[in-house]
Amino acid sequence: MIAVPRLRLDKKDRQSLLVALPFVGPWVIGFLAFTAYPIYYSFTISFTRYSGFGDATNIGFTNYEHMYHDVLFWKSMYNTLYYVALAVPVGLVIAIALGLAMNQKVREVAIYRAAIYAPSILPIYALTFIFIVLLNPRFGVLNYAIVTLGGPSINWLGDPAWTKVSVVILAQLGAGGPALIFLAAIRGIPSELYESAALDGAGAIRRFYHITLPLLTPVILYDLILGLILGLQIFTPAYVLTQGGAGAGAGQYVAGPDNSLMFYVLYLYKTAFQFTDMGYASALATVLFLVSVVLALAIMRTSRSWVHYEVT
Amino acid sequence: MRSFSGRGWTASLICLSVVVAACAQGGGSSGPPLAGCKSGTTLATFWTSHTPPDSDSLKHVVDTYNGQSSVGCVKMVQVPGSETDVTKLMTAVRGGSGPDVYMLDRFTVAERAAAGVLTDLTKYGAGNLSSKYVDFAWKEATFQGKPYALPLDTDVRALWYRKDLLKAAGVDITPLDAANGPVTIDTVRTMANKVNHQDASGAYDVIGFVPWVDQGWHYTWGFDFGGSFFDSGSCKVTPTDPKIVQAFTTMFGDWAKALGPEKAQTWVSSFLPPNNPPQQWPFLTGKTAFIITGDWPLNWVKQYKPDLQYGVTYIPIPKTGDTPSTWAGGWSLVIPTGAKHADAGYDFMKYLAGPDGMKTYVTETQHLPTWKSLGSDASLYQGDHTFFATKLLPVAKSRPPIPVGAFYWDQLSTAQDAVVRGSATADKALADVATNTNAKLQQFCPLK
Amino acid sequence: MTVRSVDRPLVEQLPQAGRRNRRPLAGLLQSAVTPRVILIGMCFLYLVPFYWMATTALKDNPELNIYPPTLWPLAPNPGNFISAIRYIPFPQFFINSVILTAGTAIGAGISNPLIAYGFARIKWPGRDFVFAIVMATIFVPFPVLILGLFDVFTKLGWIDTFLPLIIPAFFGNPFYIFLMRQFLLQLPVEISDSARIDGARELQIFWHIILPLAKPAVAVVIIFAAVAAWNEFLLPLIYLQDESRYPLAIGLQFFRSQHNVQYNLLMAASTLVVLPVLALFLGFQKFFIEGVSVGAVKG
Repeated sequence: MIAVPRLRLDKKDRQSLLVALPFVGPWVIGFLAFTAYPIYYSFTISFTRYSGFGDATNIGFTNYEHMYHDVLFWKSMYNTLYYVALAVPVGLVIAIALGLAMNQKVREVAIYRAAIYAPSILPIYALTFIFIVLLNPRFGVLNYAIVTLGGPSINWLGDPAWTKVSVVILAQLGAGGPALIFLAAIRGIPSELYESAALDGAGAIRRFYHITLPLLTPVILYDLILGLILGLQIFTPAYVLTQGGAGAGAGQYVAGPDNSLMFYVLYLYKTAFQFTDMGYASALATVLFLVSVVLALAIMRTSRSWVHYEVT
Repeated sequence: MRSFSGRGWTASLICLSVVVAACAQGGGSSGPPLAGCKSGTTLATFWTSHTPPDSDSLKHVVDTYNGQSSVGCVKMVQVPGSETDVTKLMTAVRGGSGPDVYMLDRFTVAERAAAGVLTDLTKYGAGNLSSKYVDFAWKEATFQGKPYALPLDTDVRALWYRKDLLKAAGVDITPLDAANGPVTIDTVRTMANKVNHQDASGAYDVIGFVPWVDQGWHYTWGFDFGGSFFDSGSCKVTPTDPKIVQAFTTMFGDWAKALGPEKAQTWVSSFLPPNNPPQQWPFLTGKTAFIITGDWPLNWVKQYKPDLQYGVTYIPIPKTGDTPSTWAGGWSLVIPTGAKHADAGYDFMKYLAGPDGMKTYVTETQHLPTWKSLGSDASLYQGDHTFFATKLLPVAKSRPPIPVGAFYWDQLSTAQDAVVRGSATADKALADVATNTNAKLQQFCPLK
Repeated sequence: MTVRSVDRPLVEQLPQAGRRNRRPLAGLLQSAVTPRVILIGMCFLYLVPFYWMATTALKDNPELNIYPPTLWPLAPNPGNFISAIRYIPFPQFFINSVILTAGTAIGAGISNPLIAYGFARIKWPGRDFVFAIVMATIFVPFPVLILGLFDVFTKLGWIDTFLPLIIPAFFGNPFYIFLMRQFLLQLPVEISDSARIDGARELQIFWHIILPLAKPAVAVVIIFAAVAAWNEFLLPLIYLQDESRYPLAIGLQFFRSQHNVQYNLLMAASTLVVLPVLALFLGFQKFFIEGVSVGAVKG
C-alpha cells in the first residue's frame, strides 16, 4: 500500500523535500493548527464527561461503552449507511448522465447546463423548504406525477420507509456540481479514440463502455469518495426537515417518523449542543472517523483494479 | 508578464481591508453607551432569538429602559436560535464573547445551569423575588435550589374547536362552552368522528380530532391524565407512571388505530408538514375540527381569518369530575457565564422581567405573564385570551426542571411516535424512555 | 523564455482536440431533436425548485393560505422583493457575503493548485504517505472540530471577525487538493522534466507551464469554493457575534421565527441570494468548459 517514509534521507531526498516544502508547506501549517489540534482535543475529550464549560471529568471508556448500548447510535449509523449505500451509486449514475447530457452538441446547450447546475447552488436551507412542499403527499408535484402514471401516493416525509429516499432525491438536485466535473473529463477524451473505434465497427454503446467509462474512472473515483464523505456527514437537509420548529405541526417527530431521519451527524450535533454532552459527542465523532477511513480505504483499495490513470 | 506577487498583493490587500473593516466596526460590550441612554451607564448586550413582532416589543421595552436607567444601557441583538438550539450562545460563552443577558427557554434553564453555561443569580438578590413569580415558573428557573433565571412570559394550551364545522355535521356544541367546564374525551371523540371525511381515493381530507398533533404532546396528555413525570425523592424520571401509560394508550395508540395509523399519518404529512406556515394551519383551513394548541394562534386568526367561528375550552378530561390541567412553557432571562457587564445586565433583567417591562411585553405580544400580580390584571388581555389567562393559567403544570430535559423530551417524543404508529405498546415504549433517561440523569443526582 | 517554447506544440494540440470532440453517442442520436427533448425534460425537472421559489416569492400572504397551492400567483407582487430587502439588513449582509466569498475563493485559488502541485508534480520522500493523511482529514466530521477550532481562534483573537472564515482557505482544502491533483497527474511528466533539464526552478515550472494548463481545474476549484462560501451558514453562525457582520446565508434564517415562517419573503430573499452565484457560473462556464480541457492526454 502506501509506504511509510524511510527515516534516513540521502542528499537527493533532502533536496527534493526542500523543493516541495514551499508548495506543501501551507497545507502542513493549516493541518496542524486547524485540524490536528482540534482532532487531538476532541479525541482526549471523548474520554471525559464534559459539557463544554467548566471541568472535564475523566471517565475512561465509559462513553464508548455507552455507545454500544445506545439504540440511537445504532439507529443513526444504520440510517447514515443506508443513505450512503443509496445516494452514492445513484448520484454517480445521475452525474455521469447529466455530464453526457451537458455535452450534447446543440446550440443553446449553455442554457441547459445552467439550468441543470442551478439548483446545486441554491442555499440548501431554502431548497429544503421548497422540497417539503413538492413532496406533500396530497398536493405535491412529485406524487401528482406518480399517481398520474398509475403509481401509489407515497407519504414521503411521513412514512419511515421513504424518508431517506426523499433525502436522496433532494440530494440529486445538487448533482449539477459533479456533473460539471464529468463534463470537463468527457470533453477531455480525444476524439481520435472514438473515430478509430467507429472505424473498427464499434457501436455507440460499445464506445461508451470501452472508451468513455475507462477514461472516466479517475473522476468516478473522485466522485465516489466525495459522495461517500458527504453522505456520511449529511446534516443540513435532516436539520431543516426535523428541527424546523416554526408554526403548527413542525414536528411530532424528533428526527423523522421512527427517527428515520436521525442521521449520524445530526445525532452528534444534538448530543453536543442540545444535550451538552461534549464527551459523548467526541466519542461519536471518533467512531465516525474510523468508519469513514475504513470505507474509504476499501474503495481506494478496490480502485486499483478498475481505475486507469495516466500517472506520471 | 504578470508576476506571482501581483496576485499575492491583491489577496493581502483584501485580507487587510477585511481585518480593518472588522476592527473598525466597533467593539463588543465595552465603549460609550448608545444613543438614547443616559451618560455614565454601562453598556450591556442582550441577545434574543425572537423575531418580529415579538422582538419589536422587546426593543420597545429596551428603549424605555435605556431612557430611564442610570445603571445600564442595553444593546439588543437578534441571533439565530430556537428553544433548544443554543449553539451560538454556547460557542460565544466559551470564547469569552457571550452576551450579558440572554433570552432562554425556561424549560432548559436547569439543563444549561447544570452544564455551567449560566451564572447563579443569588448574589444579585434574585432569591428575594421568588414569591413575586408564579410558582411553576420560579421552579423552572432554579437549579439545585439556586436561581439561574428570571421568568419572563409563559403560554398555556387549550382545546380549540370549530363551531361551524361541528354544527354542519349535526353536533350540538353547547357542552363545549368553557363556562360549562371541561368535557370528557369520550364526548370529544363522538363529536369529532362525525366530522371525519375521506375523499374518493380513501384518504382523509378532514379528521375531526388528531390528539397528537400541534400541542398534543406526551406532556399535555400525561398531565391531563394526572400523571407525574419525575420523582425528586428517588431522583428518577417516571414515564412509566400508569396514568401516563394510560394517556399514551388512549390518546395515541388506540386513537390512531381507530383512524387507521397510516391514513392518519398521511393526513398529518399533507396538512401539517414540517415548517408549515400559519396561514395553512389545518384548523384555519377547515381540515380538522378540534386541536390542542396554545394561545399564539389568536394572532393568526386575527391576521388571516378574523371571521373564523371557533371556541376555546379546557383540554378534555379522561372522566367526569377530573380536574382540568394544561402545561405551560415560556421564556426567561439569564446571565451567561463570563458576562462582562453582569451588573448592568441584571439591572435590565429586573426591569424586563419585572412588573413594568413585563406588562408592556405581555400586552403587546399577547403572551401570558409570570409576574403574579399581573395575572389578575384583566386589562392585559383581549378577547379569548382572557380565558387562557384567568382559567387555564391557574391550573397549569410545568415540565420537571431536570438537567436532561431536552433528552427526556426527545425520548418521550420517540415513544409517542412509536405508539401512534403501532410499532410499540405504551408500556414498552415508556419503559425504554425511563431506562435511557435515568441513565443520563444519574450523574446529577441528588437534585434539590 | 526557452521553457515556454519547448512545450508550445503540445499545448496547441489540446484545444483542438477539445473542439473536434464528437459525442460517443452521436451514432445513436442522429438528429438534434432527441437530445433536445431529453435536455428539455431534464431542465424541466431541475427548474421546478426555482419555479416554485420564484412564484412563491411573488405571492401575497392570503394566497399562501390556499390549498392546494396555486401554480401561478393570482396577483404577482414584486413588492415582496422590496419587503424582503427591508425585513433584514440586506445590503449589509450582501456586502459581508461578498467579502467572505471573495476572500475564500482567492485563498482557494492560490493555495490548492500550489499544494496539489507539491503532491502531483514533485517526487519527494514520504509524499504518498502525507497525501494519505490529507485524504484522511476529509473524514473528520465538522461538529467535532467546532470546540477545538473555536479555542484556536479565541486564542488568536479572531472571534467576531471574518478571519476564521477566510484565512483557513489559504491553507488548502483536501477536497480541492484531491481534485487538482487528479487533474495534474494527467499531465505528461515530460513537460516538467524537460523544463527541469533546461534549468527552470520548480516555481517557474508551476507558474509558466503547469498552471496555464490547469486553468479549467483552477476555475472549477474557485467556483466551488465561492459557491460553498456564499451558502455557508454554520461557520459564520459560530464565529460571528455582531449582527452587522452576518452574511446572507444567516440572514435567511431570520425569516423563520418561533411560530411563523414568512414563506414569500424567504423565497424572495433566496432568489436574490441565488442570482449572483448564477451570474458567476454563467460568466465562468464559457471559460472552463469551452476552453482547454485537461483530460486524459496520451502520455
